[in-house]
Amino acid sequence: MNSHVKMTELQSTDLSRRSFLVGAAASGLMLGYSAMPDALAATAPANFEPSVWYAIAPDGLVTVTCGKADMGQHVASTMAQIICEELGAKWSDMRVSLASNDPKFNDPVLGAQITGGSWSTMMNFDAMSRAGAAGRIALADAAAASMGVPASELAVRDSMISHAKSKKQMSFAEIVKSGKATKTFTPDELKAIKLKTPDQYTMIGFSVPQLDIPDKTRGAAKYGIDVMLPGMAYGAIVTPPVRYGATVKSVDDSAAKKVPGFIKAVTLDDKTATTTGWVVAVANTYQNARKAAEALKITYDGGPNAKLSSESLFAEAKRLQALPDSGEFFVKNGDTAAAFGTTAKVMEAEYTTNINIHAPMEPMNATAEFKGDILHIYTGNQFATRSGAIAAGAAGIDPKYVVMHQMWLGGGFGRRLDADMTVPAVQAAKAVGKPVKVIYSRENDMTMDFSRPLTYQKVKAGLDGDGKLIALNHDVVSAWPTQRWGIPDFLSPSVDKKGPLDAFTVNGADFFYTVPNHNVRAIKNEMAHNATPSGQLRSVAPGWTFWAVESMVDEIAHAVGKDPAQYRIEMLDGKGDNAGGAQRLRNTLLAAMGLAGYGTKELAKGEGMGVACVSSQERKTASWTACVAHVAVAPSGEVTVKKLTVATDVGTQVNPDGIQAQVSGAALWGLSLALYEKATLKDGGIEQTNFDSYTPLRMSQLPEVAVSVIANGEHATGVGEPAVTVIAPAIGNAVFNAVGARVRSLPITAEAVKAAMKA
Amino acid sequence: MVTLNINGRNLSVEAANDSPLLWAIREQLQMTGTKFGCGAGLCGACTVHVNGEAVRSCQTAVGDVVGKKVTTIEGLSAKGDHPLQKAWVAEQVPQCGYCQSGQIMQAASLLAKNNNPTKEEIVAHMDGNLCRCMTYSRIQKAIMRAANEMRTAANSATERRAT
Repeated sequence: MNSHVKMTELQSTDLSRRSFLVGAAASGLMLGYSAMPDALAATAPANFEPSVWYAIAPDGLVTVTCGKADMGQHVASTMAQIICEELGAKWSDMRVSLASNDPKFNDPVLGAQITGGSWSTMMNFDAMSRAGAAGRIALADAAAASMGVPASELAVRDSMISHAKSKKQMSFAEIVKSGKATKTFTPDELKAIKLKTPDQYTMIGFSVPQLDIPDKTRGAAKYGIDVMLPGMAYGAIVTPPVRYGATVKSVDDSAAKKVPGFIKAVTLDDKTATTTGWVVAVANTYQNARKAAEALKITYDGGPNAKLSSESLFAEAKRLQALPDSGEFFVKNGDTAAAFGTTAKVMEAEYTTNINIHAPMEPMNATAEFKGDILHIYTGNQFATRSGAIAAGAAGIDPKYVVMHQMWLGGGFGRRLDADMTVPAVQAAKAVGKPVKVIYSRENDMTMDFSRPLTYQKVKAGLDGDGKLIALNHDVVSAWPTQRWGIPDFLSPSVDKKGPLDAFTVNGADFFYTVPNHNVRAIKNEMAHNATPSGQLRSVAPGWTFWAVESMVDEIAHAVGKDPAQYRIEMLDGKGDNAGGAQRLRNTLLAAMGLAGYGTKELAKGEGMGVACVSSQERKTASWTACVAHVAVAPSGEVTVKKLTVATDVGTQVNPDGIQAQVSGAALWGLSLALYEKATLKDGGIEQTNFDSYTPLRMSQLPEVAVSVIANGEHATGVGEPAVTVIAPAIGNAVFNAVGARVRSLPITAEAVKAAMKA
Repeated sequence: MVTLNINGRNLSVEAANDSPLLWAIREQLQMTGTKFGCGAGLCGACTVHVNGEAVRSCQTAVGDVVGKKVTTIEGLSAKGDHPLQKAWVAEQVPQCGYCQSGQIMQAASLLAKNNNPTKEEIVAHMDGNLCRCMTYSRIQKAIMRAANEMRTAANSATERRAT
């Protein structure tokens, strides 16, 4: 269990220390939470902070301020849609803006500004619904007073409040202009608001157009890289050949000084330890900064990781796994040691995944400006709370003096949870006394990625005489991406009380199959952790744990002569703690099977279908997702994916079209990671530097993707990540069904398939 | 100083002849719709038109476009209503949106020559443009939709002339 997810709060947001404001001001009506003790004091225009969930202007436009990073999941639009449902506004009146790092915008469940984990919709649904409803009630009360009718007789729809009997009506704009909407809500009153039931929804569950899309078709959306400040200089970074641990011995800038516009080369002094051995060349234009960066002659001490490679990290992982006392227990159910003494058959397998790079299309960048005591940072970031603190650390100031200006993110995928890009911007701005925009080259971006860690997993399964899985030992060895944050709340206690573990390396291994004796060990690969500081890459742990679990379950089913899908269904019996979740996962698997025609047709030679089902992201925040992959395997071992059929149970859908986009995008990420993306470490450095050597899916590699969404009225769950995790095992299992070749390493290569075909 | 014709206007930029067009457009002229993605012609995010042909502006020198007509996403249509832009909204194509200026500019150069492309022709023409959000199938649908609109417009224009 992850301690940061508190399910009780998912149902009812903790508002104890906040009041809800509805106040009139010259600029319009503003609604949101305030930490101020006297809510009424905050309604005076002079005290009004711009940091509230939404505001209604006198022209009736409703501007929602989104505290979540929008990296293409349209979360700002989603928040607006949830508010709009209860507020009763017209969709065309809705606008969105992006929040600064003011703590008022903290996630109501997580208590920080962080966007990830496919958490946003599920954790903000209640708070945004109540914010919208409170606004509707306040507006209706004001309208009732103006019209001289009871508020209970008013209907609110499409930004209009109408009284049927008297035929009177007022628009939101008129009410806001009147200045009469002043009702405030105590936390208890806010909690007591009766929200709409799903049968009353007119917005939620409908595919309204995403508010951010039109600007993105005109080149008008502003990303971090587009920030322009008066008097700004540009920074280009020079990163060392070693990913982490190098130090700069000397910098010779004599050639750089000949570059026109060159201002200064700044060797970073990064007390936050986010970067090591970086130098930033500052000049009047980005081109000149880049030229100057190339002209710098820098010598390095490569540090302790300079000889490491992917091979050495795998070897270390195997060594650690073989030690009996390595790691900490994430799951310890029953007694696997005793159970293995009784098993009729034991199977063991190793599953590996290689380093993967985020490579969002917008390379990392940040712009820093010191203005008086305040450090302003302009960048698209997923973790403003921590990133502001890192920027402060780089500047040597208190984090409360840092303002993070959020921008649209040109892709996030977890990469922008990190704050490394702020460090060169801050230190360059400080050194030259001007605002500085730092832009990574693609080479900087790839070689200095906080990558998905290389993973090694060993799975040992024990079966009884009937072929039932009764004992499972699952060891997961990796770098620990979330421990790197240094925030205790994001770590989880181990069940053997050996100390906190990084559950973001093992989530998913606590699956919903009934296996009476089940151990999962989280083992930190310290060598990998130091050499390749890892990050959260779209789906994080379930992207590798389910690769192992769902491949192994398939191997077991084949070994005992059962249909792999049927074997899963039998283990999804919903016993004990698995009640509810197991049945939902079973139903989702059945849906995917039905949609794909699994087992109903004769496939051509060399073709096969494979299944997988997952409870990503975390056990407590799962979206139930299943995939049937249909592949064709050539005699060369080359795998062509013909079709991916994905079913996912998300409880409640806010925007069905948006969910389709997210789930199919996630599924294609899964495909790209399964077949096309591989990074390697050599001599301590990432070898891949651009899209010629690191090769995400292109249009010509696109298979047919069919996504079916199950919305059964349960709480809304996340959709940005889960489908990533189900694809690789489904493809691996399909390859086995096609040609009898079992592959256990990601990405799946033609060579590995061909070798396994011969074996 | 170099004078460039961009989106129908003559604009002066302070750039060496051998410097990339991309940075002159983005940072000097502050037309930021054209994006930097890889700096090596591998991703297509920086695609603009030079005399109607789609080119990678990160691989195009300022000196090579003097006297030619450069079009960026900002100049593709007066009101952001090129059939492709409308189709991009109708199909709800963009996710993060960062690559989409380049995708639209790349697609526009196809439809200018062929308003009835096959799926294979679309894939061949678009394969150099990466989308990390993987919006490829919606891109294909939007191109088909825009092509259809352009054919309809062309046909009705023909009909009007005939009557």
